[in-house]
Amino acid sequence: MSDKSKPLRVGIDLGTSRSSISTSDGQRHVVDSYVGWPVDMVARKVLKREVLVGREALDNRSMLELARPLEEGLIKEGSSRDEAAVRELLRHLLGLAGVEPGNGRVDAVVGVPAEALRVNKQSLRRALEGLVGGLMIVSEPFAVAYGLEALLHTMIVDIGAGTADFCVMKGRLPTEEDQRTLTLAGDWLDEQVALKIRERYPEAAFSIHMVRAWKERHSFVGEPRARVMVRVPVNGKPTEIDITEPLGASCESLLPPVIETMVDLLTRVEPEYQERVRNHIILAGGTALIGGLDKRLERELADIGGGKVKVVKDPIYCGSDGGLAIALDAPDSDWEKLSA
Amino acid sequence: MAAARRLKRRMLRELVEDNLALRSRFPTARRRRRRSPLAALPILALALVPAGWALAAYLAGPGGDPGSGMAGMAMPAEIAAGGGAFSRPVRGPHSPPANGNGGGGGHAVPDTAASPDAPPFDPAAFPLAVERVVIDPGHGGDSFGTRTPSGLSEKELALDIARRARRFLERRGLEVVLTRDGDADLPLAARARRANDEGADLFVSIHLNWIENRSVRGVETYYLGPTDDPFLTQLAAAENRGSGYSLADLKRLVEEVYVGARQQESRRLAEHVQASLLTALRGINPAVEDRGVKTAPFIVLMTTEMPAILAEVSCLSNEREAELLARALYREHIAEAVATGIRAYAESLANPDVGGMS
Repeated sequence: MSDKSKPLRVGIDLGTSRSSISTSDGQRHVVDSYVGWPVDMVARKVLKREVLVGREALDNRSMLELARPLEEGLIKEGSSRDEAAVRELLRHLLGLAGVEPGNGRVDAVVGVPAEALRVNKQSLRRALEGLVGGLMIVSEPFAVAYGLEALLHTMIVDIGAGTADFCVMKGRLPTEEDQRTLTLAGDWLDEQVALKIRERYPEAAFSIHMVRAWKERHSFVGEPRARVMVRVPVNGKPTEIDITEPLGASCESLLPPVIETMVDLLTRVEPEYQERVRNHIILAGGTALIGGLDKRLERELADIGGGKVKVVKDPIYCGSDGGLAIALDAPDSDWEKLSA
Repeated sequence: MAAARRLKRRMLRELVEDNLALRSRFPTARRRRRRSPLAALPILALALVPAGWALAAYLAGPGGDPGSGMAGMAMPAEIAAGGGAFSRPVRGPHSPPANGNGGGGGHAVPDTAASPDAPPFDPAAFPLAVERVVIDPGHGGDSFGTRTPSGLSEKELALDIARRARRFLERRGLEVVLTRDGDADLPLAARARRANDEGADLFVSIHLNWIENRSVRGVETYYLGPTDDPFLTQLAAAENRGSGYSLADLKRLVEEVYVGARQQESRRLAEHVQASLLTALRGINPAVEDRGVKTAPFIVLMTTEMPAILAEVSCLSNEREAELLARALYREHIAEAVATGIRAYAESLANPDVGGMS
């Protein structure tokens, strides 16, 4: 912290796949949302740690009881292990930012999926108890919109791993009718890709983690820029397979529900503002990086008068940056009321 | 710029208020209890004894001899003669009852509020909550339910919607059990037994409607009670087919039905689900009709031991609705609406002061 007299303010995007933190002293960190505990004494001896977080946990998963605590963007209510895992994840994120756990001089804004229930937010509050001083929980697409200063006549489409969150900003805190959450997002896409590859290459051996990595590097809608070739063991022998078609077809299958949800929300906007909203659609989240998605959505919107879709410059940090913007704008007097 | 700053300030204020409200409405110490609605029933039973007496007197009245319970099922008009019309919709989902006692206007099924001696049932007195929900996708296996000429079948649609609803509910921290998670024909008694064995807090059966007048499209939600509506009698007979229950069994079941708390809670659950379905679907399907919250003697609702409803979430007989049902997103909307209704009911139990329909 550069100024010890001022509390550190942080924005945190707790994602199903990745979680990020942006801090008021200019730091930004991202981790894979995995937490693992050594399965036995031997594993503990090898790993020399009680808990591993992020990529390290994923890489050592054979020796760990691995948790991905934010399935579909939320902590599973009543699951103490998932609550503990989220706590470790948050502790790790704060640690990366140089914050000691229990430091009451840290105020955090944490983003959750658009339609998270009070009960889910309560779980999150419990997980954060004692880790930070002040705490605000916000809808993730709202945090994105706030960070981009796109608070009026804008639609945010935040497609992450667990959920696709849609939110129309109408110059007020979004209500339920302004928001939608689909569970058809990155994880669902991974399953579709895996299913289609398995249909085509029944002998190929691969894991969902490998599929996720391929998707992140090569996903596309429309025409592929090049054939997508990957190397996998087939009957034990490393073999190059062509996954262009399974990958493209899976990405395409995400389009109808996304488009229908966009149109559904657009039709609920007051008629005089619909065109403005159509021309200010912002695509955020890791899955929004699917090649050609923005242009394809624009083409689909042509049927209802056209529109403009922009991908945010920094999909990985736009949520935590938005949270940080809220944290910085909230006056100290409000933070005093919001102790975790 | 000044306008943008004002806008941000206002939104921040709303956000802070929202977070403060979140803290005050959910005290951390208030943790949910396993099977709490049912756990509360014995306590409620004490409170409802007078209502039970009132019911017994009611059933023993003209045309309502408890000894002819099954006759009452077969000829609901006779039962109705004892207390009024059972078949009309209890109320529209957008017209909440006047109080929390569930005394919906014109609703003739006896409940705690129906007896002047019975203390009103106040959910706030019992810290009820919902943890486990059993969702029952109607039909399955050889029982296709209703079917369109294009091949859309009730059994497939119900299962798809149930699976989607499960995902929504699990995301919200509820445990969900499906009575069938594949194309199996499960007897009605087995579905109810499954819910009872699982210790479910709620039972929600998902069905698709078929109405002779094919221009009709709409949603309706049932909870247990007799009916004198020939259409509903026919519908119940169709849904109950193959249940394996004898007339004597049915008589016993009717007598065992907990007329007070369970029925009242079933109705509240039905109201929440019906309202949620209408709110969600009218945006996409503006012509969707509110066919109301109704009572009918479905076997699955009789033999379950927890608040239980049967939702006819759409009309497969209507061409436009069938087209919509063929689309995954429409089914997603239905599932989400069912889940939202369940969640709203659960939240109304956990926080009787906050919102809720009754």
